[in-house]
Amino acid sequence: MAAAARRGIKPKIKPPRKLGPEFSAEDTWAKLSRNIVEIQNHNAANLSYEENHRFAYNMVLYKHGETLYKGTCQLIANHLDKLASEEIIPVFPAGSSDDPVQRSQAGETLLKALRKVWDDHISSLSKLRDVLAYMDRVYTKTANVPEIWDAGLQLFVKHIIKPPIEDHVISAALTQIQTERDGYVINRSAVKGCVDVLLQLHDPHDDSTIYKRDLEPAVLRESEMFYKLEGERLLETCDAPEFLRRIEERFTQEDSRVHHFLSSSTAAPLRRIMEENLISPHLSTIISMPNSGLDVMIDLDKFDDLSRLYSLFIMVPAGLPSLKKALRETIVRRGKDINASGDIADAEDMPEEEFEANRAKGKAKARPTNTGSQTLQLALKWVQDVLDLKDKFDQLWSRSFRSDRELESSMNEAFETFINLNEKSPEFISLSIDDNLKRGLKGKSDAEMDTILDKTITVFRYVTDKDVFERYYKGHLAKRLLLGRSVSDDAERGMLAKLKVECGYQFTQKLEGMFHDMKISADTMQAYRAHLAKTTAPDVEISVTVMTSTFWPMSHSAATCTFPEMLIKASKSFEQFYLSRHSGRRLTWQPSLGNADVRVSFNSRKHDLNVSTFALVILLLFEDMPDGEFLTYEEIKAATSIPDGELQRNLQSLACAKYKVLKKHPPGRDVNPTDSFSFNADFSAPLQKIKISTIASRVENNDERKETKDRIDEERRHQTEACIVRIMKDRKHMTHNDLINEVTRQLASRFQPDPLNIKKRIEGLIDREYLERCPDRKSYNYLA
Amino acid sequence: MSTDKDNDWVRLISADGYSFLVRRHVACRSGTLKNMLSMESSFSEAVSNTCTMKDERGAVVERLCEYLQFKAIYDNGSLKKEELPDFTERLAPEVALELLMAADYYEC
Repeated sequence: MAAAARRGIKPKIKPPRKLGPEFSAEDTWAKLSRNIVEIQNHNAANLSYEENHRFAYNMVLYKHGETLYKGTCQLIANHLDKLASEEIIPVFPAGSSDDPVQRSQAGETLLKALRKVWDDHISSLSKLRDVLAYMDRVYTKTANVPEIWDAGLQLFVKHIIKPPIEDHVISAALTQIQTERDGYVINRSAVKGCVDVLLQLHDPHDDSTIYKRDLEPAVLRESEMFYKLEGERLLETCDAPEFLRRIEERFTQEDSRVHHFLSSSTAAPLRRIMEENLISPHLSTIISMPNSGLDVMIDLDKFDDLSRLYSLFIMVPAGLPSLKKALRETIVRRGKDINASGDIADAEDMPEEEFEANRAKGKAKARPTNTGSQTLQLALKWVQDVLDLKDKFDQLWSRSFRSDRELESSMNEAFETFINLNEKSPEFISLSIDDNLKRGLKGKSDAEMDTILDKTITVFRYVTDKDVFERYYKGHLAKRLLLGRSVSDDAERGMLAKLKVECGYQFTQKLEGMFHDMKISADTMQAYRAHLAKTTAPDVEISVTVMTSTFWPMSHSAATCTFPEMLIKASKSFEQFYLSRHSGRRLTWQPSLGNADVRVSFNSRKHDLNVSTFALVILLLFEDMPDGEFLTYEEIKAATSIPDGELQRNLQSLACAKYKVLKKHPPGRDVNPTDSFSFNADFSAPLQKIKISTIASRVENNDERKETKDRIDEERRHQTEACIVRIMKDRKHMTHNDLINEVTRQLASRFQPDPLNIKKRIEGLIDREYLERCPDRKSYNYLA
Repeated sequence: MSTDKDNDWVRLISADGYSFLVRRHVACRSGTLKNMLSMESSFSEAVSNTCTMKDERGAVVERLCEYLQFKAIYDNGSLKKEELPDFTERLAPEVALELLMAADYYEC
């Protein structure tokens, strides 16, 4: 007592005033209990808190806590019983009424009554808690009983939440939910009031709420039954989009129901019930529903329905896989249809010449009889159809399927499947690019051109046999370059860059070499012309493209012919010039790839004809002949030594096409070895310049295709061997399986190698002593 | 709104008739007074904003008010325990026991 010591006065401590013997527990309790009843009857305002608190305080202080506690509980219990019989029992629904509105109203009244009793109870309980605060603070702790508030709640459970009241309440709540599900309006706040009460009450034995214990299971049970039937009912009465719409509506409704008047803890199990009963069992039925299933929705571009389908399907685990499967199937089916429409043309492969002749007119539009051109059209159509299909599904994917990655990959798989099912797809794609670069892109902006090419590249990406594509592309590119048919050099280079990105440097190396040759040739020609200016030029002006034989695809089929004198002079002149600049090179002339401008005098006027080099050679035979003289096919052949195929083709375009520069005897569309020809001096045409016969790109016929295939197979053999040697040189020793895997992996960017073929190549290499088999018979050594 | 309510005055009347005016939020530092003045329960004290402390002398009620004020100012965690001013100096021995009883009763 530092303070006291400092003051130096002995403090006098007065004892607190004692309660006299006048305290009597019975009296106090009698007064207090009277007041508690008053409180329960809403008359608290007339009572003094201080007084009642003091009563309770005194009772606890003088060891009458137990009397106080038990007495209070008894009063609460009595009050609850009274409320139950006054408020709840009278509003029990009277029997089963059939009218849903009436039933729902009865239920609502009951729920409201429960809520009213609860509110009443809580209000008096909170006052009692205030008054008995001292008891809670001191007595309950030592006596190990719940505080008066908790005791009050437990009493509520015991006296109100019990049969038959509880049963009636739960069935009333269920009726309300069912009424709403049936499309009627209910008083949601009544249900919510009741649910709130049940959420605040706990089971006396464990910690779960009464809601969780009694109401939730009932709701779930009821929902399961309802939705099981609902799902089947809807499936019978609705088409797929309508079904999905209804289901989605159900989901939103239940969501709002849970949100507004049930506990959020119910959301998950309720949702699961809906998923299990409305979606899971019906997945395949929805997808394959006749006249309204997935296929039809896709056909009709029902983006909203499809996005609904997607969002519902991803809710359940089996949903996405089944959607993936269905998508794959529908894409492959559509793809096969596209393939099939392309195959029809295959059956009617026809003579190339006629097609050539048609192209000679410089018109893309084909006559109905011209199936060759139709084949080209079919190729273009095939690519366009594939692109359209891809567009359609891309749009679907981004608009309806929220750009789902899994779906994307299965869609890609499907595209890959059907595109590779069509063995002509690499050729078709190359043809389409060829067509675009030759004429399709005319008058289009760079950006448009880029998108078109990009799209084609996306189709190309699906092709596994990239080397086949390369072969065709090379052929088409060569023709474009040599005939100057390309619309724009930028576009060509753009395409090349895209291919480089897709397949790497190796893939485009030769293609780039071709471009390089073109450029070098242009330079060479400039130098040659300068050179000619200084010396005497030959009669015929020539333009030469020097092609590196390894880069260009056509060096193998070198059809030659006997040049007339003036052409020999011209070519010799260039040869001399070229070899003087580059010693040690060999030039081979490829007349089959060239063309010539020649001025021909007919009776009426002169015309500038653009013809192939072969046609020029043929025409020159007629130059000095008198009118009306004939040359037989055999004579022409002997004079020019052009191979039969080329000769027939060129004669046909000169004599049987739109511009008949030569007359054939007898007339007819096909050229036979027995025919003879004469110069058509009466020829007339409205145009000064006439283009006759160009080597146009077209779909290969079966023989050509077989040849291409053989060449590809051969190339693949070389590539496979090179790859094996490359790997073995690096590793020295490898097991058979590892080697096969590695080779497959490395070649995959170009084509899909067959393990059997790899094995054959390995054997070949062993024979040639590049490799040796190890004693274990399972692995190989590299022999340097 | 709540600050207005917290700032209004309530009257505490001692057994011997002294009347003390304190802010509501100060009075509510005592659990018992808080319950007494609770608007939810609305006992007569809450209705009249007047608490009759009929077992305590004026001197005791005065100390009680002082302490509640002290608590209202300092009991907010802003100061450490050793920095708090010493309240025991104000406790006269004469009223100590009565105060002890009152503190228990009024839960402060």
